[in-house]
Amino acid sequence: MFTTTPYLRIRRPSPTTAEFIVSTLPPPTMALRLSFYALYTARLIVGSLLLLFLYVAWAQSPYGTLPSPSPSASPLSIGALLAAILASRPGVLATELASKSPRTLAFELCAVALWAATRRLYTEESLLVLRGLGVQTSSSKGNILAGRATTRFIPTSKIQDIFINEAFLGFEVRHYLVIVVDDEPDVVVVFPKLLPRARVVESVWRGVKECLYERGTVGDRYVLEKKRERCGGGGARAY
Amino acid sequence: MSRRTYNIAMVCDFFYPQPGGVESHIYQLATKLIDRGHKVIVITHAYEDRKGIRYLTNGVKVFHVPFAIIYRSSTFPTVFSFFPLFRNIMIRERIEIVHGHATMSTLCQEAILHGRTMGLRTVFTDHSLVGFTDAGSIFTNKLLKFTLSDVDHVICVSHTGKENTVLRAALDPLMVSVIPNALVSDDFKPLPRPEPSSLPFAQHPLPAHPLGPNDTLTIVVVSRLFYNKGTDLLTAAIPRILENHPNTRFIIAGSGPKAIDLQQMIEQNVLQDKVEMLGPVRHEKVRDIMVKGHIYLHPSLTEAFGTVIVEAASCGLYVVCTAVGGIPEVLPSHMTVFAKPEENDLVAATGRAIAALRANKVRTERFHEQVKAMYSWTNVAKRTERVYRGISGDISEEEFYGADDASHWSVTRGRNFALIDRLKRYYGCGVWAGKLFCLCVVIDYLIFVFCEWWWPGDQIDIARDWPRKPPASDDD
Repeated sequence: MFTTTPYLRIRRPSPTTAEFIVSTLPPPTMALRLSFYALYTARLIVGSLLLLFLYVAWAQSPYGTLPSPSPSASPLSIGALLAAILASRPGVLATELASKSPRTLAFELCAVALWAATRRLYTEESLLVLRGLGVQTSSSKGNILAGRATTRFIPTSKIQDIFINEAFLGFEVRHYLVIVVDDEPDVVVVFPKLLPRARVVESVWRGVKECLYERGTVGDRYVLEKKRERCGGGGARAY
Repeated sequence: MSRRTYNIAMVCDFFYPQPGGVESHIYQLATKLIDRGHKVIVITHAYEDRKGIRYLTNGVKVFHVPFAIIYRSSTFPTVFSFFPLFRNIMIRERIEIVHGHATMSTLCQEAILHGRTMGLRTVFTDHSLVGFTDAGSIFTNKLLKFTLSDVDHVICVSHTGKENTVLRAALDPLMVSVIPNALVSDDFKPLPRPEPSSLPFAQHPLPAHPLGPNDTLTIVVVSRLFYNKGTDLLTAAIPRILENHPNTRFIIAGSGPKAIDLQQMIEQNVLQDKVEMLGPVRHEKVRDIMVKGHIYLHPSLTEAFGTVIVEAASCGLYVVCTAVGGIPEVLPSHMTVFAKPEENDLVAATGRAIAALRANKVRTERFHEQVKAMYSWTNVAKRTERVYRGISGDISEEEFYGADDASHWSVTRGRNFALIDRLKRYYGCGVWAGKLFCLCVVIDYLIFVFCEWWWPGDQIDIARDWPRKPPASDDD
């Protein structure tokens, strides 16, 4: 709903650094930003309601205990807070619901709903190239709670080659960019989740070669020169 | 004006790394077509560790499609499940002609069906002869008839093969071309002969074989040891030949289920010092084995072409072979001694060959040059290209098919892609089979429509071509 087909952005913070970002998140506009905030708020509310329901269900089970606020405790203690929440309207509603609903099914449904509510809306994968140092691949995680992204840094000395390959994927043949790392049986696939179109992969490959080794690929010198002029400003450019 | 070049997909279950005649045929043909400026890809199934997309010498792109194997490296007939992937490859490689090889390859048959559904031109090359009587053959023939009901052109490796295929698939004979196999003659050179000037005394003419009256004569057999290759015949004939001609030796290369029979024969007759069995050999070693001998013995019971006897003749061996299938067409009569496929005649024919060699009547040293002039892959590629031009309409129908007055066949030529016409062709295949085949074609078409909707053609990336060679002119 909020995503587009994967597209490429190139960031050039410095002449020796380039970051290639492939993302399904469209360029932010005001409307998009507002709807994202609204969506996040809605997910937060849904998530906390689910947690409340789970808590109440647990408290009603033989293993749980309802909070009993002792008068001596301060009104800000956990027990007092929980009791206040339970006494509130949503709390009462949740208690009613929990006592009615079948226990096992409810737990599973809640777990699925929680997982759905914490899913990341978009996928973003990037390749950061630092001349003289190496490259860092990064791939955003599917769930917000799992953290931001999986990253991996490969130093230049370990990089044997970077090239584009083709492989079967389901009923398709796809182009993908791979990095061959020294002393490793498997190659590292760049943009493993999104696997962007050949056009994107090829421009990333050219960019990486150019940035990492400070020279163009054979036969395309002229194109690269022009590209360098255009990209030299360090501005972001969308494909 | 430069001639049009084509993007061709060769589809076959049998391809490298597995060794064999069909495999090398596809590879050689692909290489030579690329030399003529065409683009060729090969689609085959995955072999153990050989999966994915690879390039071979000369820029032949090979797709090892991951599918399950059932019997002697034929894939399981999945019929429709291959279609989406096949369509993807056809679009990304911009294929115009689908060229399937070998009857027993289900991948090839499926590709021809799907290719026609997608509106591509299709060619089928038949490499083998199949009988008409046993249940397996009948089933294979029915399947072949299904595939060939709607194919643009068929290529056979010999005239016998053509006759066989036309009968099996009820084809218009004009739709079937004969293009023989060939060999890389530089890989099959005889041993270098001594310079006449270096000999201590002049001989006029130099004998074909420096074979003295008491020298041993070696007979070579290079064959897979299967029933259809006539190994039983060989097992029966060897003791008798050795009995009649004590001064001969056998070298047998190859492996197979019948190897055990040969071993038993050797042990029963105590011939260990006269018959040497080498076991399986690699194709590039075949020449080194062949040049050790004087006679090549080929006892095959059925053979569409028999590339191996051409290889043997190219190595300067006198060939004794059974006159079956396409073999009599392959070599001129002065290089061969023919036998009927039976024990007595094979023994007699070998005896004649030994006598002729001992009498120094056969000029085997000239065989290599003669074979070289007869068979080359460049020529095969040129003739195959003509077939491609014919089916693509780049040469006129009259020129391609020749003059003919059998007007009742003409309905099957110039095959259009309209579904209703295709269905008509399939319907004629048989009372029940016709309806079943029509059903298959309709399902295939529906899958095609679904693919067009689910994976739109413009969403498929076009793969980059290997740098092409300039198209060759016709008269080189």
